[in-house]
Amino acid sequence: MSRQASGLMAWLIQRATAVYLAFFLVYVLIHFTLNAPADHAALSAWATRPWVALGLMLFVPVLLAHAWVGIRDVLIDYVHALGARIGLMLLFGFVFIASGLWALKAIITAGLGG
Amino acid sequence: MRISVYRFNPDTDTKPRMQDYEVKTFQGMMLRDALLEVKKQDESFSFRHSCGEGVCGSDGVNANGTNVLACITPISELKTPIQVRPLPGRPVIRDLVVDMTQFYEQYRAVKPYLVRKDPLPEQEIPQSPADRDKLDGLYECILCGCCSTACPSFWWNPDKFHGPAALLQSWRFLADSRDQATEERLDALEGPYKLFRCHSIMNCVEVCPKGLNPTRAIGHIKELMLDKGL
Repeated sequence: MSRQASGLMAWLIQRATAVYLAFFLVYVLIHFTLNAPADHAALSAWATRPWVALGLMLFVPVLLAHAWVGIRDVLIDYVHALGARIGLMLLFGFVFIASGLWALKAIITAGLGG
Repeated sequence: MRISVYRFNPDTDTKPRMQDYEVKTFQGMMLRDALLEVKKQDESFSFRHSCGEGVCGSDGVNANGTNVLACITPISELKTPIQVRPLPGRPVIRDLVVDMTQFYEQYRAVKPYLVRKDPLPEQEIPQSPADRDKLDGLYECILCGCCSTACPSFWWNPDKFHGPAALLQSWRFLADSRDQATEERLDALEGPYKLFRCHSIMNCVEVCPKGLNPTRAIGHIKELMLDKGL
């Protein structure tokens, strides 16, 4: 008996990713309030600290998974024409994957001192 | 007191309009009394009502933007001129009378009755007082439809999303110690639509004239799904 399908699983992913996003964003907010990096070099140095880099690398897919469930909910609610819905889902899917890859590349490049 | 009611007769009107009436008030007057007064002045005006005491659930209407049961809503609680419209999101049959077919179909879909697999006993199926208490806040629903027709998710997908009223009843039978169809009930709720269109907006909780909490019931269903599914 499988309940792994699109209902429960999507809901669970949304809730679970929200927990990580909440903690990480609170950390980022506190850090940037109390100890804001002065320039690009300082920002790079912060982002390449091993724990911060790991946190950021995890943040990207978690954020995208959360956003995907959210945008899918919006499209299921409001866009009822099948063609338009699939088109928009593909568009958002590609934009999300591209943004994710770009963000990961930025984190890795910063880590390599680029 | 001035009351403004929604008028639409699909046989003669091309679009709906609001019509004003002056009604005499009395102490303890309910919105239903005011609508009856309008009906006295204008026989062509239609609305549903029956018991007059919040039991039958017939006279759900939208008063000043909020779904209420007209018979238990004192007019003293409403800002005048009172604007009375049909329950939102439902096709209007005439004036305040709406087509609730989809609402009842969703109710029917959750199998709102006990399912037993064991042979039925000669007499009643016993239940402990503690198990009986689990049904409090669930069985009291009178199916007036105030909740589901206040739910944006039900507005967008009334054919696929069960809506708060039906889901409250779904939990009422999942929570019943005498029911033996838990797995089947949960399986039937899978997918993105029937249960998971609920985004915890909680309009249902706000408007329920019986003070019930469909959002909490939906949360219990999700918990049970997790419990049985993971």
